[in-house]
Amino acid sequence: MQRFRRSALLVFAAGTVVLAAACGSGGGTTTVTKSSGTPTSSKVLTGAGSTLVYPLVSQWEPDYATKAGVTITYGAIGSGGGIDQITARAVDFGASDAPLSADQATACKGCLQIPWALGATVVTYNVKGVPNNLHLTGPVVADMFLGNITSWDDPKIKALNPGVSLPSTKVTPIYRSDGSGDSFVFSSYLSAVSPEFKSKIGASTQPPFSTGTGAAKNSGVAASVQSTDGAIGYVAISYIAADGLNQALIQNAAGKYVTPSVDSIKAAADAVNTARADGSIPLVNPPASAATAYPLSTYTYAIVPKTSSKASELKAFLTYAITDGQQFGPDLGFPPLPSAVVSSDKTEIASIS
Amino acid sequence: MSTRAETDFALPKRARLHFGDLALRGITGAAALTVLIVLIWIAYKVTQQAWDAISTFGLGFLTSSQWNAVTNQFGARDLIWGTAVTSFFALLFAVPISIAIGLFLSELAPRRLRGPVGALVELLAAIPSVVLGLWGILVMGPFLEQHVEPFLNDHFGWIPLFSGTPSNVGLLPACLVLTIMIVPIVSSICRELFDSVPSDLKAGSLALGSTRWEMMRSVAIPQVSGGIVAAVILGLARAMGEAIAVSQTIGGTARTGWSLFGSADTLASRIANQYQGAATALQTSSIAYLATILLVLSLAANLTAALIVRRIRRRMGATR
Repeated sequence: MQRFRRSALLVFAAGTVVLAAACGSGGGTTTVTKSSGTPTSSKVLTGAGSTLVYPLVSQWEPDYATKAGVTITYGAIGSGGGIDQITARAVDFGASDAPLSADQATACKGCLQIPWALGATVVTYNVKGVPNNLHLTGPVVADMFLGNITSWDDPKIKALNPGVSLPSTKVTPIYRSDGSGDSFVFSSYLSAVSPEFKSKIGASTQPPFSTGTGAAKNSGVAASVQSTDGAIGYVAISYIAADGLNQALIQNAAGKYVTPSVDSIKAAADAVNTARADGSIPLVNPPASAATAYPLSTYTYAIVPKTSSKASELKAFLTYAITDGQQFGPDLGFPPLPSAVVSSDKTEIASIS
Repeated sequence: MSTRAETDFALPKRARLHFGDLALRGITGAAALTVLIVLIWIAYKVTQQAWDAISTFGLGFLTSSQWNAVTNQFGARDLIWGTAVTSFFALLFAVPISIAIGLFLSELAPRRLRGPVGALVELLAAIPSVVLGLWGILVMGPFLEQHVEPFLNDHFGWIPLFSGTPSNVGLLPACLVLTIMIVPIVSSICRELFDSVPSDLKAGSLALGSTRWEMMRSVAIPQVSGGIVAAVILGLARAMGEAIAVSQTIGGTARTGWSLFGSADTLASRIANQYQGAATALQTSSIAYLATILLVLSLAANLTAALIVRRIRRRMGATR
């Protein structure tokens, strides 16, 4: 018995060391403190939420620390988590790719949603023998996610892709099992172009898909698509390049198959300037007048309380984010905000007290 | 309990009134009380959160298959089904393995091997569930999809369990991950149980000409059968409550069906996936309702295990 205990302890200790080493590199929260030398200001703003906007925020952190002497601490915990955190006032600002739902807005007790970056959701697929940039339309994607199209050599897909040889592989839709801004964009778009999708499933951060399999977070969907022959899914635009995924070109209202890019997202943003009463600006399925617009574009929002004990710091940071901060965008795949949105944002920001 | 301790040690009166002892009793008592308070407080809070959903859906929640954030209709039937199926198959796989490990370590293994092998089995319990889940997605899922499930489908496809298309996520990977998680718990309890069988009984059986297997079957296992049941129930509670590794491997689709290849979802996995960022207040409340159901099931399992153990203690006490 004594010997057993000792060996158990040894093995356990060895395991702990390995684990501790493995955990050292993890973590989604970064804290940027001002470099030593100059006296550091104690001003800190904390935020949490969207992973989509995180690459941009992580550029703002060091830049803003140098320029304004304010430390930004942002946890990329996901849009849903960001909404929960700001609702509980556990952070100074939240970030979400989907606008607040009616219940969420009520729970948040007077939160503003300020569009502060542009992004897109991209339809991805993995079918052995099928090249990148397959052509698809919204109604066909809707049929695949409704279970109406079950094999990749369906005549409806063939008709859009003359010259591409499509196998009879079974279609496996893969969707987000957690609440997600990408699900919201994807299901809003399909609801806009397919009446059947709208009535059977509808637009939501958690659409009740009835076929296919779910996976958690963008990374889970990416992994699931990569390991499933015949998969079709959707991820935030940055995951396409990062994980080497195929992208489908979705036909926009003008009838063009558009590559998701800084330019095509910007074209969608330029075509839509009317904000809803709650401050959100829905970008999916822009009108045909925007010939080069990508149809699954979206704004991502900063969610901030109307009254905050750190109002002045918050206002300064948000103003920086929508003006100077935008310069980092294009390199990371974020188009600059249209000037009309910047000016309406400034009005919103001014109302924080 | 306390009266027995006092008579056992027969403490002098002055010692009992000693300040240090009083303080010790206070501190340890407070610790014990804290656990009770925390348990009641959690149960109260979860039920309070769930109250909206409980009053909206009532007990119909248990039999409704809806989970729709758009129409604001929620029900737990498919999730209860998923929890039941994954727990059942995880136990079906884990219990024979665990009993075999227990017997091996207690009766058959060379003395030199017992320590290291036992430690390794227990180390399995030290793997964080998120790591097991990751391994489930990246390694086990594709292996099952490419090799195991096609084989089962080709040869036993007429059994509903093995019908359907092989998939890298679904019930089978989730069941196997759970199996790996509960084997260490159940096997270490089994080993202790077999070690506790009086050696004169074992020796007597062997002296009467039994083989080792006959001795185990007719003496060791019957002696501790109640304990094994309790161990199995503890394993069950673990399987029901596991969220992360299951959510990574099960596919997250609420669904009832017999095929082990299809995806499904469990109570715990749904809570882990959706408690953040619920779209409506009723959904938040419905997730708390799921938590209430899970809490009740887990408490029931643990209480059953405790009752069985107590009954065995009493019976064993009576035979001595």
